[in-house]
Amino acid sequence: MVVSLLLAVPAAVGLWLVSGGRALPVRPARWLALLTAVATAGLAVGVVVTEAAVDRAWLPELGVRWSFGTDGISVPLVLLTVLMGLVVTAHAWVEVPAGGTPATFLGCLLLVEAGALATFTARDAVLFLVAFEVVLVPMWVLVGRYGDPHDPRARTEAAQRFVLYTAVGSTTMLVGILALVAAAGTADLRELAGGAGAALGPGAQMGVAALLVVGLAVKVPVLPFHTWLPPAHTTAPTAGSVLLAAVLLKMGTYGLVRLPVATVPDGFGRLAPVLAVAGALGIVWGGLVCLVERDLKRLIAYSSVAHMGFVVLALASGSETGLQAALYANVAHGLVSALLFVLVGGLKQRWGDVDLAVRRPALRETSPRLGFALVIGLAASLGLPGLAGFWGELLAVYAAWAPAADRPRAVLVTCAVVAAVGAALAAAYALRVAGLVWAGDRPDPEARRTADTVGVERWVLAGLAGLVVVLGVAPMLVLSVTADAVATVGGAR
Amino acid sequence: MSTLVTVDWLVLAPALAPVLGVVLVLVGDAVSPARRGGRWALPVAAVVLVAGAVLALRGSLLDPATPLRTLCLPAPDGACLWTAGPRTSTLQAGVLLAAAAALAVHHDARPRLRDTTVTATLLLAATTGGVAVAAARDLGTWLVALELATVPAVALVVLRGTRAAAHGGLSLLVTSLASFALLVLGAGLWLTATGDAAFSPESVAAAWADPERRAVLVLAVTALVSGVGFKLSLVPFHAWTPQAYATTDLGTTLFLAAASKLSAAAALLVVVEALVGSAGSVVVVLLGLPAAASLLLGTVVALRQDDAVRLLAWSTIAQAGWVVVPLTALSSDGLRASAGYVLTYAAATAVAFGVLARTGARSLAATRGLLRRDPLAGGALALALLVLAGLPPGVVGLVVKVLAVAAPVAEGVWPVAAAAVVAVVLGIAVYLRWVAVLVARPGEGDEPAHEGSRARSTTVVVVLGTAVLLVTSALPHALLGGLG
Repeated sequence: MVVSLLLAVPAAVGLWLVSGGRALPVRPARWLALLTAVATAGLAVGVVVTEAAVDRAWLPELGVRWSFGTDGISVPLVLLTVLMGLVVTAHAWVEVPAGGTPATFLGCLLLVEAGALATFTARDAVLFLVAFEVVLVPMWVLVGRYGDPHDPRARTEAAQRFVLYTAVGSTTMLVGILALVAAAGTADLRELAGGAGAALGPGAQMGVAALLVVGLAVKVPVLPFHTWLPPAHTTAPTAGSVLLAAVLLKMGTYGLVRLPVATVPDGFGRLAPVLAVAGALGIVWGGLVCLVERDLKRLIAYSSVAHMGFVVLALASGSETGLQAALYANVAHGLVSALLFVLVGGLKQRWGDVDLAVRRPALRETSPRLGFALVIGLAASLGLPGLAGFWGELLAVYAAWAPAADRPRAVLVTCAVVAAVGAALAAAYALRVAGLVWAGDRPDPEARRTADTVGVERWVLAGLAGLVVVLGVAPMLVLSVTADAVATVGGAR
Repeated sequence: MSTLVTVDWLVLAPALAPVLGVVLVLVGDAVSPARRGGRWALPVAAVVLVAGAVLALRGSLLDPATPLRTLCLPAPDGACLWTAGPRTSTLQAGVLLAAAAALAVHHDARPRLRDTTVTATLLLAATTGGVAVAAARDLGTWLVALELATVPAVALVVLRGTRAAAHGGLSLLVTSLASFALLVLGAGLWLTATGDAAFSPESVAAAWADPERRAVLVLAVTALVSGVGFKLSLVPFHAWTPQAYATTDLGTTLFLAAASKLSAAAALLVVVEALVGSAGSVVVVLLGLPAAASLLLGTVVALRQDDAVRLLAWSTIAQAGWVVVPLTALSSDGLRASAGYVLTYAAATAVAFGVLARTGARSLAATRGLLRRDPLAGGALALALLVLAGLPPGVVGLVVKVLAVAAPVAEGVWPVAAAAVVAVVLGIAVYLRWVAVLVARPGEGDEPAHEGSRARSTTVVVVLGTAVLLVTSALPHALLGGLG
């Protein structure tokens, strides 16, 4: 019951805001969205504490049940999602982009939140896919209508590319899920993970795993399928970027854990070396692009590709540590990228663009609070010990260095070395950005000063930065939650 | 007569209702001619159709094991010429409701008064055929009913009287003659191969076991699939579709796109149902090739259309491919998925044409910003397009697509599944392109919605169709549960 409410509250309010309440003025719409996000967060805490679940018949024709619930793997992501719901609805006090009514904008944010929550709590493979698709249209509206107002053509293209790439991925995944369900005779993810999937023959496992991995790799995104991400991030409004990086990408990695890793472990094991190589290449490629990229928003998008490379590498290692690392790095990247996107969105609002080639007065002198948040975000992004990014990367490289027994050790160790080099690249590009933006030039007395952060924006940034530090100091907060569930996942040995 | 066959009038009611409507309209016209100002013909016909749909839905709730049967031959043979299980009944209700929707759109278009009786009669006659073909289980009834469902539709297209409509009607007529020839040929071959004038799985299994008779049966299936393919707008028999849609009025287009497609799909289901369980991979190829070709060609061409009706016409072709995709599995799950798909498609298409009729828009550009100018029409159209694309919030569209792909995947028909994957992605591009126009900011010259006050019955169609899509999106079982 509580689970159904958790999904229904943001979905219902979101739907009303985009349909009946479209003309609602910005002030009441903002409060309504924020209160909904608060209520959703409360419900999410309730669901996590009481371990509530729901299970009723929904589509008996396909053996699909309306089955939602949480476990150790989904709890951190559910909490991350409701937190991001709070961040983006609160951020409406800082910026409501033009392009349509404010109510529609906020409604789309809530719909994305509802879809992500449904994805993270679905206990049925087909239901997971339906939930996966729910976020598509609202996100398409967010990018295509409310994105960067300067270039309508780029906006349309980015939105289309996002939808079509994701649709390719989810349809491929659909075929994989259907083949799995048809062969195993059940769509329940717990039964599939409990051995129903592992009972498939080696050829079938391999085929299903390939379809699932390719489908989800688009969403993650893994290297050759990543080209939709930078344009989407560059054009999306700040709140859209935050949701995209902190929530939507996590749906891909979560899907990888839930579907191929848990249900067809042997098939996934055979694909793991390819995935590991793709992850390692993603780390290096993302880092190299970040060294030369001029647009700060696009730079952070590429750094997301690099960070997702660590997650994929950890998953490919096949060990329990690897799964832990992947889940932890997921949450850490969610927080760090949200912090950076809120920050860069704020800079873009102040400067008009975030071109790194334009020389600007040093942020540390004109607006020290913004500057401090930027330094924390960049430091976490490069994996400085004591901040959230560190543990995910460290554990991922360690997991690849000591992979599960059935993984080809030479490939994974090579990937671990490459990933470590990639981490050094991360340090280089983070310092490059810090040097250009934070240290900058001496302020020109003529130049307009960058206004420092005030009001809601300050609290949002402070909250995110605080969480980045807390997770960095006490990683066990997440790791202890995921530990038990990870031990039961079929793929971990 | 009752010594020869048993007749249960209530079971026949879904087909008898439109016949009764024809009688009422013709007698009424003789008493009070429509050309003197009576505007009652279309409403009367619509009422009769809705009543027939309610009677048909009675059968949807039955157990599939005990279908409604009538026109049964005496024992020991015991074959029934009319067999309506839940799936058939729901399809019949769909045909009747789609025809009623077409009448409503006709009514708002203010046809010339002397045309109303003719329009009502033709529509009712075609509907009778569509309802009957779904329940027909013997070659003769099936063939006659299928033609009855087609020929009046040709007359409806020509009725508009313009040169373009005559061209559209001509191509449709030539097409339907060719398809009739193929169907008669197919029926003859079927009879030769199985030695049975009914579509029964047992005689098909017997024929399939014998290599010589199998060859004839394969030929029969080829001819029958091609013949029905014309009516269902499957590639390569699709060429008439865009022309006929674009030249006739929207009421008739809605009838062709929704009711006719439901009848054709129901006819195909009758044939495929007999093949389930015995036929082999040759039949899979015969069904799979046109399905894949329709999916790909239909979506690719639809991607380039700027005329709203032509876009929907090409989308119909693609959707016809989707209707056949689950049939390639040759399983009972596939039959249900196909019926579910065609019903969902018909509802969404009816809403889309209803919106076009209500707003008077014929091009994509004319619907620019419709979501703001006319939220009811814009919202309904956006939902219908998302259902056709298979994207939430049009969940029912996604669910029927999942079911449609599940059947061939379960049977390992991978090439069809691959074509379906490509078609999903291209289809999303097609429909989102239009949705993007709907949600755009209205242009300078766009006036606020017009015709809203005049088009009352069309609005009813749009509202009811949207309600159906919303309810089935929340509870897909409401639709699929009625299919057995």
